[in-house]
Amino acid sequence: MYTGFANVTIGHILMILIGLVFIYLAITKDWEPMLLVPIGFGIIIGNIPLFPGLQVGVYEEGSVLNILYQGVRQGWYPPLIFLGIGAMTDFSALISNPKLLLIGAAAQFGIFGAYMAALALGFGAAEAGAIGIIGGADGPTAIFLAGRLAPDLMGAIAVSAYSYMALVPVIQPPVMKLLTTEKERRIKMKAPRAVSPTEKKLFPIVGFLLTAFIVPSGIPLLGMLFFGNLIKESGVTKRLDTTAIVPIIYFITIIIGITVVCYTHSDKVLQWSSVKIFILGAFSFVVATFAGVLFVKFFNLFLKEGNKINPLIGNAGVSAVPDAARVSNNVGLEYDKTNFLLMHAMGPNVAGVIGSAVAAGILLAFLG
Amino acid sequence: MKKYFKLFILLGVLFCATSSYAQNISDMRLNEVVVTNTEGFEDDYGYRSGWIELFYTSYGTVNIAGCYLSTDPNNLTMYMIPKGDVLTQIKPRQHTLFWADGVKERGTFHVSFNLEGAKEVFFVSTDGKTIVDRVAIPQLDTNQSYARKVDGEGSNKVESIVYKSINKTIKAKANEADPTVEGWVVCNAPTPSTNNLTLDGESKASMMQDVDPIGIFLTLTAMCVTFLSLIILYFIFKRIGKFHIKKKSENAKEATKNVANSAKADTSGQVSAETYAAISMAMHLYKIDNEAHDFENTVLTIHKESKSYSPWSSKIYTLRETPQVNKRK
Repeated sequence: MYTGFANVTIGHILMILIGLVFIYLAITKDWEPMLLVPIGFGIIIGNIPLFPGLQVGVYEEGSVLNILYQGVRQGWYPPLIFLGIGAMTDFSALISNPKLLLIGAAAQFGIFGAYMAALALGFGAAEAGAIGIIGGADGPTAIFLAGRLAPDLMGAIAVSAYSYMALVPVIQPPVMKLLTTEKERRIKMKAPRAVSPTEKKLFPIVGFLLTAFIVPSGIPLLGMLFFGNLIKESGVTKRLDTTAIVPIIYFITIIIGITVVCYTHSDKVLQWSSVKIFILGAFSFVVATFAGVLFVKFFNLFLKEGNKINPLIGNAGVSAVPDAARVSNNVGLEYDKTNFLLMHAMGPNVAGVIGSAVAAGILLAFLG
Repeated sequence: MKKYFKLFILLGVLFCATSSYAQNISDMRLNEVVVTNTEGFEDDYGYRSGWIELFYTSYGTVNIAGCYLSTDPNNLTMYMIPKGDVLTQIKPRQHTLFWADGVKERGTFHVSFNLEGAKEVFFVSTDGKTIVDRVAIPQLDTNQSYARKVDGEGSNKVESIVYKSINKTIKAKANEADPTVEGWVVCNAPTPSTNNLTLDGESKASMMQDVDPIGIFLTLTAMCVTFLSLIILYFIFKRIGKFHIKKKSENAKEATKNVANSAKADTSGQVSAETYAAISMAMHLYKIDNEAHDFENTVLTIHKESKSYSPWSSKIYTLRETPQVNKRK
């Protein structure tokens, strides 16, 4: 009666199998192992059958897991992850060609496309907002918003967001190829100009002031992202930079990975609504890719020959740094072995991080 | 000069800190008042008496210890809220209730006066002079309260009206309280320590869903705001980029000109000391302010190859050959 065997249900077994599949994919296929290993193991931890009163399960107030989970529930961890992301991100590609920022804005249509689809499928507005943010392809942002708008859907949203981020190389290329001609795929972009250290230092300050004044509700994410970048670019806070990119981000990644999915108890996840969330998650990624690529094609209509943008970097407007940029590069190389798009794609890719944080702030302001 | 600058910064910080403190106290509001209470809420001693409810409108925490409550404009320090009681720490958007029973010995939340015959109630800052909020009490029946319709909202608030204690004359800067101001109502059912207006539970999200059931309004608004933010950022960095390119080309032109001039001046065929100085300066500038070159860590990584066997580590090669003795014949 006190063992897990006595309390096990088919739901527990199914969820444990899902966790094992995640771990398998991470170890053997090398799919986002830094995320999928903790997530897979977290699913297993969350689905060990317990009887109530042991004060060990994530659902029991005061238990260790429950206390760690509060960082997810209250939104403490995602801004800390953003601090590390900011400290690791080089915005040079974006600063050298600032029009790439607009691709990052266009790709956020994935979030709102999924929001409308979720409303049509019968979700409430707050839940739809939390589901929509999966389209931002940014795990910490998805967790941050889900914690505020729909905590009960946290597990399904987190698993969906991280799974699709790992599946970016599978989801995006068909859409990119569908929307572009062979000639467009061969467009060679101008080499980015050199960016001065002064410009790099100015970017986080100006970027934060501007975005925070427009969307104050995005301050936790935007503030930490730009602060992290400033400590990197300032050149005088080397130790802070090292702390942000190594101990903080890895510590939080471990904790967030384990705890965010501890809440994926079979009772909560094995539901029809979870299936809908997974479908909507895939839909949001497809819509975001569509929007990014089509926006570049539209933008090219106004650009002179020689200044045109390769539409294959449109997909990188979703965050998923740097996987989405890698996808742009790999698809580009399929058509021209000398056309390296990685540096160009990093522009919209990091713009996507800013865009998704702005979009999350807007959703929080309207629905929170 | 440096000393004065530091002093200036320190004063600035102190000013900010003081302002933020004042900001917290200034967010306190008189929220509801009951003059005669015979059937309503009882205090911890089981007595019924009039009461004054305060509401903290801010999203931080504030300690109201040391502030004053009064009903007499000529004596604004009638009751000082005692210091040292943790319960005077008011949480964000919370109420606190003071019993106007005239028996302050009953504890922190029992003031030294009652409201019978009182015309106004004042909440005064810790200096005993600055009125944070005041309310003129209209004629109330027994067990009726005079309350704000929505907690903390309404036009009866007073912004920093300073009462000069000299001659006991009242000189208000502005906003003389009007007892019939908007936002206050007489209630037959008082709500001590709870919201005066209880919302029906409709959240922003559900209101949004009612207004915009398919989500198109939110989508268009959000996309416009996202684009707007990034478009402004685009224009700013486009300008900064152009400025940077212009400056760089100007610097290059100037450098070329200087080199040409020095070459003209040096006709002897000998390289002058000035030329060496210019070259050194150019190299120095290139090194410290090379805008074409990013910062790099310049970390050299050496992978150690581990081999199970190598002749270099073989003992047999490191041993000296056994000496042989050649005997002379």
